[in-house]
Amino acid sequence: MPFRSTSPLSRLLRKSPFKPIQEHMRAVFVCICSLPPLFEALFDQDREKVLEHAEQIRNLETEADKIKSRFRLNMPKTLLLPVDREDLLNLIADQDSLADICENIGKILTYRDMEVPHTLKPYIDELLEGTIEVSGEARKMIEELDELVEVGFGGGREIEKVSKIIAGVRKSEHNIDGVLNRTRQELFAIESELNPVDVMFWYKIIELLSNISDQAENMADRLLLFLSR
Amino acid sequence: MDILTTYGTILMALAIIFGLYMTWGIGANDLANAMGTSVGAGAVTVKQAIFIAIVFEFLGAVIAGGHVTSTIRKGIIDPAGIIDNPEILVYGMLASLLAAAFWLMIASTKGWPVSTTHSIIGALIGFAIVGIGPESVKWDKVMKIVASWIISPAIGGTISFLLVMSTRKLILDTDNPLKNAKRYAPFYIFIVGFIISLVTLFKGLKHLNIELSGPESFAFAALIGLLTAAIGWYFVRNIQDIPNENREFHYTSVEKVFTPMMLFTACAMAFAHGSNDVANGIGPLAAVVSIISSGGEVMQSSELPLWILILGGSGIVLGLVTLGYRVMLTVGKRITELTPSRGFCAELAAATTVVLASRTGLPVSTTHILVGAVLGVGLARGIGALDLRVIGNIILSWLVTLPAGAVMAMIFFFTLKGIFG
Repeated sequence: MPFRSTSPLSRLLRKSPFKPIQEHMRAVFVCICSLPPLFEALFDQDREKVLEHAEQIRNLETEADKIKSRFRLNMPKTLLLPVDREDLLNLIADQDSLADICENIGKILTYRDMEVPHTLKPYIDELLEGTIEVSGEARKMIEELDELVEVGFGGGREIEKVSKIIAGVRKSEHNIDGVLNRTRQELFAIESELNPVDVMFWYKIIELLSNISDQAENMADRLLLFLSR
Repeated sequence: MDILTTYGTILMALAIIFGLYMTWGIGANDLANAMGTSVGAGAVTVKQAIFIAIVFEFLGAVIAGGHVTSTIRKGIIDPAGIIDNPEILVYGMLASLLAAAFWLMIASTKGWPVSTTHSIIGALIGFAIVGIGPESVKWDKVMKIVASWIISPAIGGTISFLLVMSTRKLILDTDNPLKNAKRYAPFYIFIVGFIISLVTLFKGLKHLNIELSGPESFAFAALIGLLTAAIGWYFVRNIQDIPNENREFHYTSVEKVFTPMMLFTACAMAFAHGSNDVANGIGPLAAVVSIISSGGEVMQSSELPLWILILGGSGIVLGLVTLGYRVMLTVGKRITELTPSRGFCAELAAATTVVLASRTGLPVSTTHILVGAVLGVGLARGIGALDLRVIGNIILSWLVTLPAGAVMAMIFFFTLKGIFG
């Protein structure tokens, strides 16, 4: 006789939504970490390597996408969550756009065999470094979600800790703004020497890189919403 | 009258068989659910859970089970209308037992979250309507029981909410959570022992011929509380902080303190379950036994014989050993989302509420109080996600169970009446 469990309890408890969010963020972070090697290959004028890295980022983005879709499908409106369902869905959307931006950058570099202005390299490197830093902070923030559930997202030391990380994300984003300005100024200074269409694309790439830190800051703002009662 | 003297032994045997069948079903499913939390949290193995269940289910049934039993036996139906036909009540109780057990088995194989308590009450009402007349059902009592199905999970939820808040304030949200966890663990375990024994003792243990006054009960409960606290302290005292383990999740060491603490709530759950749910199986059995052994006296108010409580406890244990362990495995696997600290709060709240209800004689549903307690943890923002659709399913299963038990009891009643005349 098949005696199935009739426990309403085991049906009541759903898998924590924070685990897939963390899993997704880790995947996204790997995507972002693949950007420096991509640009390295570009500056080395190694076309083949550029394609290879772009392809890798595309695959990582697909992975992250799968996690996101699975997450969304498992979030019916009847769930009782410690945080607002909308905020949670927006948070993962923010995370996902980070991976999308990486994929876009990869695409642009594969579509166009671009001219590489070497005076721009130190600026781009600094920009990439800052981007990784701010995304790393954002990931650290997401890794704290489990602990936040334990303390009920309210008051105390864990919140202080997360607030510090959030402040860190904002500060890093602010620093990147400075780097962005300098990079654009440098690009403006040398733009007459470059192919005009390449210049256009470089501006586009810089903008995309700036979008990453913007999105990381958005995530910090979302998390701040969780903490505010 | 003649029927009872002619078929007395057969009817008695039938009552025992049906009673065992019902308690077997309770053990196979209900008890397994009640203990699943501890198994899921990894606090006890299935073997240990069965051992705990055997001991504490029995204790609960024998020590605190009497009150609910008398509600099931005498509280819902007024047999005044059939005082001259005591065999009607015997058929009715037999039919009710069989109907409830049968419905429970169908629901268990289909995977519906029905309650043993709802099954038996539905069956009793069903029999009373056709066997004695609708006016014989004490509808105000029934309404009280129905109201308690809503109130008791709410109480369980409130207690667990407060417990979660207290663990947060005293342990998790401090500079040194592990140190505080070890410091307050004996205190929480004291509460387990103290509350459960106090509630059990408070109305005295008349059927065991033990009378304790108010202050004596307090003192005795405090003693048991201190004893459990001491055992608890022994378990948690050597838990060390291993920083490596805390890298993934900062509260890993703290949760290790709560794991052995769940051992105590597992005992409390089994005790609470025994005190309340055993009555669902043996209440009608006790009624049959008292009618037959008194030679057809319907209205008598004899004490509940101890052997019936023991028989009920045995049936439940049998159900647990034969099928319940399997249910426990599946339940346990699926509720690992509840961390030991949260599981502890939920179980302590649920056990307290159930024992409290038992003392007032209300037949409540252990599983649903546990659901209420888990909801309380969720409302304290201590759980990742709870699926509220389940609440709808529970309510639906309540609504279905009462008439299903009632209709089956009616059919069995007429069958028995046809057989014995």
